[in-house]
Amino acid sequence: MTGRRGGRPLVPAYLSTGGVARPSRNSLERLSVLTGGGGPEPAGLPAAQHALLDVLDGGSLTVVETAALLELPVSAVRVLAAELIDQGLVSARPPIPVAALPAPDLLKRVADGLRALKQ
Amino acid sequence: MPFSRSPLKVHQMIEIPDLAAGGLAAGTLSAFVLAGGLLSSRRRGARQQEEVAGLRSQVDAARAETGGVSRAYAAEVSHLAQRRVPAEATRAAHPHVQVPGPLHPDLAGTELGAGLDGVLDGVAAAVAQERKRVDAAARAGMRGATREIQAGLYRLQDQLRGLQQRYDDPELAQTLFALDHENEQSLRRAQVTAVVCGAWVGLAREESHLVDAVTGGQSRLVGYHRVRIHNHLETGTALVSHAVEPVAIIVAELLDNALRHSAPDTEVVVNLERAHHGVSVTIDDAGVGMSPDERAYAQRMVAGTEPILLSELGDPPRMGLAAIGQLTRQFDLSVDLSSPSPYGGVRAVLLVKNHLLSRIDPAQRPPAAAAPRSTRTAAEQPVPEAVPLAPEPVAAYDTGAISHEPAPDGDALPQRRRRARAALPAETAAAPARTPEESAAALGALQSGTAAARSAAPTEGNEPR
Repeated sequence: MTGRRGGRPLVPAYLSTGGVARPSRNSLERLSVLTGGGGPEPAGLPAAQHALLDVLDGGSLTVVETAALLELPVSAVRVLAAELIDQGLVSARPPIPVAALPAPDLLKRVADGLRALKQ
Repeated sequence: MPFSRSPLKVHQMIEIPDLAAGGLAAGTLSAFVLAGGLLSSRRRGARQQEEVAGLRSQVDAARAETGGVSRAYAAEVSHLAQRRVPAEATRAAHPHVQVPGPLHPDLAGTELGAGLDGVLDGVAAAVAQERKRVDAAARAGMRGATREIQAGLYRLQDQLRGLQQRYDDPELAQTLFALDHENEQSLRRAQVTAVVCGAWVGLAREESHLVDAVTGGQSRLVGYHRVRIHNHLETGTALVSHAVEPVAIIVAELLDNALRHSAPDTEVVVNLERAHHGVSVTIDDAGVGMSPDERAYAQRMVAGTEPILLSELGDPPRMGLAAIGQLTRQFDLSVDLSSPSPYGGVRAVLLVKNHLLSRIDPAQRPPAAAAPRSTRTAAEQPVPEAVPLAPEPVAAYDTGAISHEPAPDGDALPQRRRRARAALPAETAAAPARTPEESAAALGALQSGTAAARSAAPTEGNEPR
């Protein structure tokens, strides 16, 4: 059992945001990283926002990963995340530009160097 | 009297003195005799004439009477043809129509009266039969058309959801959401019409969380913003596969009724609660409520005990209650509308019996993100055996939750690692075997469903007259 829902979803995506697809902020991209506040969840949050906080669970995930886990379109997650950011329950940082990623090779050499220093 | 005098003259010529007296006496005697005879014959003639006259008048009277009776017959038959038969035919569709009685009230109980009533009974039976036949034909036609429409709308839904996944431009997404919602509503209409016409619900679903079915039903309505769902069930309470779509349809129709009959600024409250015999879905609105007549009508429709005729659903046809009736009958669900809501409106209670319920491990398959969470706190939730809770709830989402973990010790680079589902003991992945009771309940449901469909078949009106 893969755990993935088979067939047609019973609950359409628009229900998660109450039909809203325009986020309150436009800063979120697919690869923006969301970080849960980790604090207690306030009562009265809409179910989908609760679910998003559950998925983050104080850790960090990109928008697109969150969408995959919640089985929602990215557009819906952007709306949910934007609302949570507005309430201070989630923080977001822009995606790391691809060009700025260090090469794994380099990291490996640095790690080897550090280990060599330690010994 | 010439013939009585002639014998007297003959005697006078032979011996006048002797014979005179005797002759006279004899003559007088015979005259008397003759006169007597004459008188009696006259009297008899008169009597006969009287009798004849009497008989003639009787015959006249009888003839007059016969004429009157046949005129009455003709009037009665034409009254039957012009008034009573049309009224009887109308009454098949409108039970409040009164069928007039015979012209002569004293006809009741006679042979003629019984004959005429027999005509009416025959007409009523023929009209009822014909109505059923026409209705069955109409339903078959509608069924074919709605099935095509429904299939087309599902294809459209697939396309729309594909687009939603692919494009996340807010403006486009907004349009796609609106289209998806419109599509859901059309789909609901087509599906309900098909169900009323005796079709299958049109979509096979897998075992799903009950709260998902209810939320799915909610999403099919225009006023879904006004619906508040309170989920008091254990997490993981689910519906067996064949009950998912019927429950979603019934909830959607009950909610539609509630939204339609309450003010736009009021909420419709849904409570999901565990009952002894199953799970109850209670829908309360704060609307105007129903009159006792409406309540009785609605209760009769949702009970699903009587066959439904399309022509009885009004114009525009009120499909919702009829569809609920069909589904409750087919799937052994029960809907009750008999008690008023404490909010003043209508309270509808859908009871899903235990044999239609199952359990889904929420860690394996969580409910939809938009489905309201259970109000039960974790402490109240019975922890399912043999499923050790994952150390962190994130692991509930098993499709590859990624976390930042520190490198174990020294050797490798810090890596983002999938939370491994494989870390769980192997037996937890195996679906729990069905208990004999569950198997029996499933087979029983199949059997009762088959029996219900068979008993429903003769109502189609195809039987020969």
